[in-house]
Amino acid sequence: MNIFVINGPNINLLGSREPEIYGHDTLDSISKECIEQGLKDGNNVKFMQSNYEGEIVEWIQSAIKEKIDVIVINAAAYTHTSIAIHDALKSFPGLKIELHISNPHLRESFRHISFVSPAVDAVVAGLGADGYSHVIELLADLQRS
Amino acid sequence: MKKKLLIINGPGLSDLSNFNEFGHDNLTLEKVQKKCLETCDSLGISVDFCQTDDQAELSNYLLKASKEFDALIINPAAYSNAASLDPDLYASNIEAMANQKKPVIEVHIANIFQKGVNINSPIKASEGNVGFVSGFGIHSYDLAIRAVNKQLSQKS
Repeated sequence: MNIFVINGPNINLLGSREPEIYGHDTLDSISKECIEQGLKDGNNVKFMQSNYEGEIVEWIQSAIKEKIDVIVINAAAYTHTSIAIHDALKSFPGLKIELHISNPHLRESFRHISFVSPAVDAVVAGLGADGYSHVIELLADLQRS
Repeated sequence: MKKKLLIINGPGLSDLSNFNEFGHDNLTLEKVQKKCLETCDSLGISVDFCQTDDQAELSNYLLKASKEFDALIINPAAYSNAASLDPDLYASNIEAMANQKKPVIEVHIANIFQKGVNINSPIKASEGNVGFVSGFGIHSYDLAIRAVNKQLSQKS
Protein backbone atom coordinates (compact mmCIF):
# COMPACT_ATOMS: atom_id res chain seq x y z
CA MET A 1 0.00 0.00 0.00
CA ASN A 2 1.15 3.53 -0.74
CA ILE A 3 0.20 5.99 1.99
CA PHE A 4 0.49 9.78 2.00
CA VAL A 5 0.59 11.41 5.43
CA ILE A 6 -0.09 15.11 4.81
CA ASN A 7 0.40 17.69 7.56
CA GLY A 8 -0.73 21.30 7.56
CA PRO A 9 0.46 24.60 9.00
CA ASN A 10 2.56 24.94 12.18
CA ILE A 11 2.99 21.19 12.53
CA ASN A 12 6.68 21.74 11.73
CA LEU A 13 6.86 23.45 15.14
CA LEU A 14 5.84 20.28 17.01
CA GLY A 15 7.82 19.71 20.18
CA SER A 16 8.22 23.41 20.86
CA ARG A 17 4.70 24.68 20.06
CA GLU A 18 2.41 24.54 23.12
CA PRO A 19 3.77 21.17 24.33
CA GLU A 20 1.02 20.97 26.99
CA ILE A 21 -1.43 20.50 24.10
CA TYR A 22 0.66 18.88 21.38
CA GLY A 23 3.29 16.99 23.39
CA HIS A 24 7.06 16.86 23.07
CA ASP A 25 7.38 14.67 19.98
CA THR A 26 8.87 16.43 16.98
CA LEU A 27 7.66 16.12 13.41
CA ASP A 28 10.88 14.27 12.54
CA SER A 29 10.36 11.66 15.24
CA ILE A 30 6.71 11.12 14.22
CA SER A 31 7.69 10.88 10.56
CA LYS A 32 10.37 8.31 11.35
CA GLU A 33 7.93 6.25 13.42
CA CYS A 34 5.29 6.26 10.66
CA ILE A 35 7.77 5.24 7.98
CA GLU A 36 9.15 2.44 10.17
CA GLN A 37 5.67 1.20 11.10
CA GLY A 38 4.80 1.20 7.39
CA LEU A 39 7.93 -0.76 6.46
CA LYS A 40 7.15 -3.36 9.13
CA ASP A 41 3.85 -4.03 7.39
CA GLY A 42 5.27 -3.75 3.87
CA ASN A 43 3.65 -0.35 3.27
CA ASN A 44 5.27 2.71 1.76
CA VAL A 45 4.64 5.88 3.80
CA LYS A 46 5.41 9.34 2.41
CA PHE A 47 5.32 11.93 5.19
CA MET A 48 4.80 15.58 4.20
CA GLN A 49 4.23 18.95 5.84
CA SER A 50 3.40 22.33 4.40
CA ASN A 51 2.32 25.70 5.74
CA TYR A 52 0.72 26.50 2.38
CA GLU A 53 -2.88 25.58 1.59
CA GLY A 54 -2.27 25.41 -2.19
CA GLU A 55 0.63 23.04 -1.76
CA ILE A 56 -1.56 20.69 0.30
CA VAL A 57 -4.23 20.80 -2.42
CA GLU A 58 -1.55 19.92 -5.01
CA TRP A 59 -0.32 17.00 -2.91
CA ILE A 60 -3.87 15.62 -2.73
CA GLN A 61 -4.16 16.04 -6.50
CA SER A 62 -0.85 14.23 -7.00
CA ALA A 63 -2.16 11.41 -4.79
CA ILE A 64 -5.04 11.04 -7.26
CA LYS A 65 -2.66 11.00 -10.24
CA GLU A 66 -0.18 8.60 -8.63
CA LYS A 67 -3.02 6.28 -7.53
CA ILE A 68 -2.02 6.44 -3.88
CA ASP A 69 -4.10 4.06 -1.73
CA VAL A 70 -4.54 6.08 1.45
CA ILE A 71 -4.32 9.72 2.55
CA VAL A 72 -3.92 10.45 6.24
CA ILE A 73 -4.39 14.20 6.66
CA ASN A 74 -3.78 16.49 9.59
CA ALA A 75 -4.82 19.76 7.97
CA ALA A 76 -4.21 21.58 11.29
CA ALA A 77 -5.75 25.07 11.23
CA TYR A 78 -6.84 24.68 7.58
CA THR A 79 -9.24 21.99 8.86
CA HIS A 80 -11.53 24.76 10.03
CA THR A 81 -11.22 27.06 7.02
CA SER A 82 -10.35 25.26 3.80
CA ILE A 83 -13.07 24.40 1.33
CA ALA A 84 -10.25 23.90 -1.23
CA ILE A 85 -8.85 21.00 0.80
CA HIS A 86 -12.38 19.61 1.29
CA ASP A 87 -12.94 19.67 -2.50
CA ALA A 88 -9.56 18.10 -3.28
CA LEU A 89 -10.22 15.28 -0.79
CA LYS A 90 -13.64 14.68 -2.35
CA SER A 91 -11.93 13.89 -5.67
CA PHE A 92 -9.52 11.41 -4.13
CA PRO A 93 -11.02 7.91 -4.60
CA GLY A 94 -8.88 6.05 -2.04
CA LEU A 95 -9.26 5.74 1.71
CA LYS A 96 -9.10 9.09 3.55
CA ILE A 97 -8.44 9.57 7.23
CA GLU A 98 -8.50 12.84 9.15
CA LEU A 99 -6.11 13.00 12.08
CA HIS A 100 -5.51 15.48 14.89
CA ILE A 101 -3.03 15.26 17.74
CA SER A 102 -5.40 16.97 20.19
CA ASN A 103 -9.19 16.71 20.17
CA PRO A 104 -10.43 19.90 18.44
CA HIS A 105 -13.95 19.39 19.82
CA LEU A 106 -12.67 19.96 23.36
CA ARG A 107 -10.93 23.21 22.44
CA GLU A 108 -11.97 26.69 21.28
CA SER A 109 -15.31 26.83 19.47
CA PHE A 110 -13.61 28.00 16.26
CA ARG A 111 -12.07 24.51 16.07
CA HIS A 112 -15.41 22.70 16.31
CA ILE A 113 -16.21 22.95 12.61
CA SER A 114 -14.17 20.75 10.30
CA PHE A 115 -14.41 21.01 6.52
CA VAL A 116 -12.26 17.89 6.34
CA SER A 117 -14.50 15.54 8.40
CA PRO A 118 -17.41 15.26 5.91
CA ALA A 119 -14.94 14.56 3.08
CA VAL A 120 -13.15 11.62 4.72
CA ASP A 121 -13.95 8.05 5.71
CA ALA A 122 -12.74 8.19 9.28
CA VAL A 123 -11.58 10.65 11.93
CA VAL A 124 -8.99 10.14 14.68
CA ALA A 125 -8.29 12.84 17.27
CA GLY A 126 -6.88 13.36 20.72
CA LEU A 127 -4.58 10.33 20.77
CA GLY A 128 -1.46 12.48 20.84
CA ALA A 129 1.43 11.95 18.43
CA ASP A 130 0.88 8.19 18.82
CA GLY A 131 -2.28 8.61 16.76
CA TYR A 132 -0.16 8.57 13.60
CA SER A 133 1.51 5.21 14.18
CA HIS A 134 -1.75 3.70 15.49
CA VAL A 135 -3.43 4.65 12.20
CA ILE A 136 -0.55 3.30 10.07
CA GLU A 137 -0.69 0.04 12.03
CA LEU A 138 -4.49 -0.17 11.66
CA LEU A 139 -4.21 0.31 7.89
CA ALA A 140 -2.20 -2.92 7.73
CA ASP A 141 -4.92 -4.69 9.76
CA LEU A 142 -7.61 -3.35 7.42
CA GLN A 143 -5.63 -4.60 4.43
CA ARG A 144 -5.39 -8.08 5.95
CA SER A 145 -9.06 -8.35 6.92
CA MET B 1 -1.89 -6.75 37.79
CA LYS B 2 -3.91 -6.60 34.60
CA LYS B 3 -5.25 -3.19 33.63
CA LYS B 4 -9.04 -3.00 33.56
CA LEU B 5 -10.84 -1.48 30.60
CA LEU B 6 -14.57 -0.77 30.42
CA ILE B 7 -16.22 -0.56 26.99
CA ILE B 8 -19.69 1.02 27.09
CA ASN B 9 -22.09 0.93 24.15
CA GLY B 10 -24.97 3.37 24.36
CA PRO B 11 -28.58 3.37 23.19
CA GLY B 12 -29.49 1.61 19.99
CA LEU B 13 -26.26 -0.32 19.60
CA SER B 14 -27.79 -3.74 20.26
CA ASP B 15 -28.80 -3.70 16.58
CA LEU B 16 -26.03 -2.67 14.16
CA SER B 17 -27.88 -3.55 10.94
CA ASN B 18 -28.47 0.13 10.15
CA PHE B 19 -24.72 0.57 9.63
CA ASN B 20 -24.98 -1.49 6.40
CA GLU B 21 -25.75 1.67 4.46
CA PHE B 22 -22.41 3.16 5.56
CA GLY B 23 -20.49 0.22 4.19
CA HIS B 24 -20.07 -1.56 7.53
CA ASP B 25 -21.92 -4.69 6.47
CA ASN B 26 -23.24 -7.52 8.61
CA LEU B 27 -22.00 -6.06 11.85
CA THR B 28 -23.43 -7.37 15.09
CA LEU B 29 -22.64 -6.30 18.63
CA GLU B 30 -21.54 -9.89 19.31
CA LYS B 31 -18.92 -9.60 16.55
CA VAL B 32 -17.71 -6.30 17.98
CA GLN B 33 -17.52 -7.81 21.47
CA LYS B 34 -15.64 -10.88 20.22
CA LYS B 35 -13.09 -8.70 18.40
CA CYS B 36 -12.63 -6.44 21.43
CA LEU B 37 -12.08 -9.43 23.73
CA GLU B 38 -9.52 -10.90 21.30
CA THR B 39 -7.61 -7.63 20.99
CA CYS B 40 -7.61 -7.03 24.76
CA ASP B 41 -6.55 -10.61 25.35
CA SER B 42 -3.59 -10.26 22.99
CA LEU B 43 -2.53 -7.08 24.81
CA GLY B 44 -3.01 -8.52 28.31
CA ILE B 45 -5.82 -6.15 29.29
CA SER B 46 -8.95 -7.31 31.14
CA VAL B 47 -12.15 -5.91 29.65
CA ASP B 48 -15.83 -5.54 30.51
CA PHE B 49 -18.00 -4.99 27.45
CA CYS B 50 -21.53 -3.70 27.98
CA GLN B 51 -24.47 -2.15 26.16
CA THR B 52 -27.47 -0.31 27.50
CA ASP B 53 -30.44 1.66 26.18
CA ASP B 54 -31.21 3.00 29.62
CA GLN B 55 -29.90 6.37 30.81
CA ALA B 56 -29.84 5.48 34.50
CA GLU B 57 -27.89 2.33 33.75
CA LEU B 58 -25.51 4.29 31.54
CA SER B 59 -24.88 6.75 34.39
CA ASN B 60 -24.14 3.80 36.68
CA TYR B 61 -21.64 2.39 34.20
CA LEU B 62 -19.96 5.80 33.94
CA LEU B 63 -19.69 6.07 37.74
CA LYS B 64 -18.31 2.54 37.89
CA ALA B 65 -15.78 3.43 35.19
CA SER B 66 -14.15 6.18 37.23
CA LYS B 67 -14.09 4.08 40.42
CA GLU B 68 -13.24 0.59 39.29
CA PHE B 69 -11.55 0.83 35.91
CA ASP B 70 -8.24 2.11 34.51
CA ALA B 71 -9.61 3.18 31.15
CA LEU B 72 -12.89 3.79 29.32
CA ILE B 73 -13.93 3.38 25.70
CA ILE B 74 -17.43 4.68 25.03
CA ASN B 75 -19.63 4.54 21.98
CA PRO B 76 -22.35 6.95 23.10
CA ALA B 77 -24.40 6.39 19.92
CA ALA B 78 -27.66 8.26 20.23
CA TYR B 79 -26.95 9.31 23.81
CA SER B 80 -25.29 12.63 23.23
CA ASN B 81 -28.22 13.76 21.08
CA ALA B 82 -31.09 12.30 23.05
CA ALA B 83 -33.65 14.94 23.98
CA SER B 84 -34.02 13.70 27.54
CA LEU B 85 -30.32 13.51 28.23
CA ASP B 86 -28.53 15.53 30.86
CA PRO B 87 -25.38 16.54 28.97
CA ASP B 88 -23.75 17.96 32.12
CA LEU B 89 -24.08 14.71 34.02
CA TYR B 90 -22.70 12.85 31.04
CA ALA B 91 -19.77 15.24 30.54
CA SER B 92 -18.94 15.43 34.25
CA ASN B 93 -18.62 11.65 34.49
CA ILE B 94 -16.34 11.58 31.46
CA GLU B 95 -14.32 14.44 32.97
CA ALA B 96 -14.02 12.62 36.31
CA MET B 97 -12.35 9.79 34.48
CA ALA B 98 -10.14 11.98 32.30
CA ASN B 99 -9.10 14.11 35.27
CA GLN B 100 -7.72 11.03 36.99
CA LYS B 101 -5.49 10.75 33.89
CA LYS B 102 -7.30 7.57 32.99
CA PRO B 103 -7.56 7.15 29.21
CA VAL B 104 -11.01 7.88 27.77
CA ILE B 105 -11.77 7.39 24.09
CA GLU B 106 -15.05 8.04 22.32
CA VAL B 107 -15.63 5.65 19.41
CA HIS B 108 -18.16 5.48 16.60
CA ILE B 109 -18.66 2.81 13.95
CA ALA B 110 -19.48 5.27 11.15
CA ASN B 111 -17.98 8.71 10.50
CA ILE B 112 -20.52 10.81 12.39
CA PHE B 113 -19.64 13.91 10.39
CA GLN B 114 -20.67 12.44 7.06
CA LYS B 115 -23.93 13.59 5.58
CA GLY B 116 -26.75 11.36 6.70
CA VAL B 117 -25.13 9.97 9.82
CA ASN B 118 -26.06 12.91 12.00
CA ILE B 119 -26.52 10.74 15.07
CA ASN B 120 -24.71 12.97 17.48
CA SER B 121 -21.95 15.40 18.24
CA PRO B 122 -18.73 14.51 20.04
CA ILE B 123 -18.51 14.53 23.83
CA LYS B 124 -18.28 18.08 25.14
CA ALA B 125 -16.05 17.60 28.18
CA SER B 126 -14.49 20.84 29.34
CA GLU B 127 -11.59 19.28 31.21
CA GLY B 128 -9.29 16.36 30.62
CA ASN B 129 -8.36 14.80 27.34
CA VAL B 130 -10.81 12.55 25.52
CA GLY B 131 -9.68 10.71 22.41
CA PHE B 132 -11.95 10.32 19.40
CA VAL B 133 -12.15 7.59 16.76
CA SER B 134 -14.95 7.52 14.19
CA GLY B 135 -15.59 5.71 10.91
CA PHE B 136 -13.45 2.56 10.94
CA GLY B 137 -16.37 0.20 11.54
CA ILE B 138 -15.48 -2.59 13.95
CA HIS B 139 -11.87 -1.40 13.74
CA SER B 140 -12.72 1.87 15.53
CA TYR B 141 -12.75 -0.20 18.72
CA ASP B 142 -9.50 -1.92 17.81
CA LEU B 143 -7.68 1.37 17.27
CA ALA B 144 -9.08 2.74 20.54
CA ILE B 145 -7.96 -0.36 22.48
CA ARG B 146 -4.43 -0.09 21.08
CA ALA B 147 -4.33 3.62 21.96
CA VAL B 148 -5.58 2.88 25.50
CA ASN B 149 -2.94 0.19 25.89
CA LYS B 150 -0.19 2.57 24.76
CA GLN B 151 -1.39 5.30 27.12
CA LEU B 152 -1.61 2.88 30.06
CA SER B 153 1.88 1.53 29.38
CA GLN B 154 3.31 5.08 29.26
CA LYS B 155 1.65 5.89 32.59
CA SER B 156 3.06 2.98 34.54
